[in-house]
Amino acid sequence: MKQQKRSMSENKASKLFGSPLKVINIGLDVFYQALKDQGVDAVQVSWKPPIKLEKEYEDILSKIL
Amino acid sequence: MMKGLSVTKSVVRKNLYRDSIQLLKISEEAKKIPGVLEAAVVMCTETNKEILEKLGLLTEEARISTENDMVVSLRAKSKTASSDAMKKIEEMLMKPSVAERAFYSLDTALKAMPDANLAIVSIPGEHARDVVIPLLERGVNVHLFSDHVPVEDELELKKIARQRGLLVMGPGAGTSIINNVAVAFADVVNKGPIGIVAAAGTGLQEVSVLVSQAGSGISQAIGVGGGDVKKSVGGIMTLEGIKALEADPETNIITLVSKPPDAEVQVAIMDYVKSECIKSYVTCFVGGETIPIGKDLKERVRQTKTLHAAALESIRADDEAKYSEAVKLISIEPDALIRMADKISAKLAEEQRYLRGLYTGGTLMYETMILVREAMGDIYSNAPLDKRLMLTDPYKSFRNTVVDLGEEEYTKGRAHPMIDPTVRRIRLVNEASDPEVAVIMMDFVLGYGSHADPAGAHVEAIQGAQRIAEKGGRYLPILAHVCGTNKDPQSLAGQVERLQRLGVTVLPTNALVALLAWIIAAKGEVKDSTVRRMYKEYLSAV
Repeated sequence: MKQQKRSMSENKASKLFGSPLKVINIGLDVFYQALKDQGVDAVQVSWKPPIKLEKEYEDILSKIL
Repeated sequence: MMKGLSVTKSVVRKNLYRDSIQLLKISEEAKKIPGVLEAAVVMCTETNKEILEKLGLLTEEARISTENDMVVSLRAKSKTASSDAMKKIEEMLMKPSVAERAFYSLDTALKAMPDANLAIVSIPGEHARDVVIPLLERGVNVHLFSDHVPVEDELELKKIARQRGLLVMGPGAGTSIINNVAVAFADVVNKGPIGIVAAAGTGLQEVSVLVSQAGSGISQAIGVGGGDVKKSVGGIMTLEGIKALEADPETNIITLVSKPPDAEVQVAIMDYVKSECIKSYVTCFVGGETIPIGKDLKERVRQTKTLHAAALESIRADDEAKYSEAVKLISIEPDALIRMADKISAKLAEEQRYLRGLYTGGTLMYETMILVREAMGDIYSNAPLDKRLMLTDPYKSFRNTVVDLGEEEYTKGRAHPMIDPTVRRIRLVNEASDPEVAVIMMDFVLGYGSHADPAGAHVEAIQGAQRIAEKGGRYLPILAHVCGTNKDPQSLAGQVERLQRLGVTVLPTNALVALLAWIIAAKGEVKDSTVRRMYKEYLSAV
């Protein structure tokens, strides 16, 4: 009975456990640095907010596209 | 005199964005430029304008700018020093990212690392959904640090993750420990049999650190964000985290840490533990469970009310024989606490009667409120247990007050106080000027992500506070807990020693700080039997 419960509980997230971490850090580069300091394979994405268009331009663009 | 000759100048850069930690670094560097007396480089949020004003750096240009604008504001010895410094700061702002492999789009990063299994996302919350969905579609687990993610986005992301068997740790998750790696704000702890699922960031840090300090260790620690245990989200990731730890052969004990969940969420979690799980559990819904847990669960579930108790009971649940040694390592017996308090309170003046807590960790502050409210009555806060006790001005304490300086009102557009000590330094000096303050409580949170030397960053402010009290003819006791390990980059032992040299009383857990502060402020009016009862009720299993 208990064994059956266990098999029902398995999910893919547990695959993460025990595998070497490969991390994409998006945003604060202090977290990227911390991963590198711990010897973790990581890449950094320097995120910037999407450019906000003025309403007027947005209307024109939406008509063209 | 120097102030009379100095020059205050600011330059506003419209629509230029840098994250708060980059700006903090630049501000710190700017203060070191020769001739600079004070400097701040910040986004022009309301909070930052208040800080600029307190630092004497709020110019008219800065006052009328918006949160999309950046301001470089400084006070220098001369006009030349000021313009030289402005040039140097400009260069710092234009320097590229520290990463040797920085990508400017997620797609290119995914191409460079097609087998990525985890992403840490720390961007403004309103943009999080658009970044996280493509990650989940590619089978990547996500630690979502961002705050202010709309709840409908949180729900959508967590549902997608559940469907795909992935974890979305957050939003608002400060900490995780995955495969012994500290993710975001986390400590370097020993590996061991205890797995944690936490909807409370510093709660996770405190329990993982204490478990490690007390001789055991952590298998995995999954932060899910405080919103997960609200009715609106329904504990989706708490349940997924439990599922993952149940399936993990390295985990023997599963410890659940959060502020009390909404009642229906607590029921859903405990029903799941009852019907789907086989491992032993420790619950720490800080302060106590929302509704009683069924008797049938009691042999497999140990309930605790504090982080301190959760750490000890997790060790006991794994190995009864290790418990008494663990207690010796991280606790102080009630009688010894009373003796410590008596010595300190004997030095207090008559009007000193209130306690003040200046916290960087939200869960640590919450734990303190829970512990002191029973004895002290009303505890005012910027995040109180009862709305009636909300501070009218978050920058001014009233009677017994504890504040979480990591809350939005202090941090909008600024780095978290675990990284940027500015707000707490100002506050500490202000508290010292209040003759009714009997004792100050502080937390120092170590680990990756945090300030490189939090104790060192507070030396001047602590000494300043002590001088102010002394001038007023008072002794001002400061109690601290350092949440960290000797394997952390800052080293626990070094930080503790630094604080002790300043005359700060350092205790091994946050709960002990709260208890000691309460006994000190009560000035001998608390019965020893009450202290022992509180100790028993809160510092061991219920």
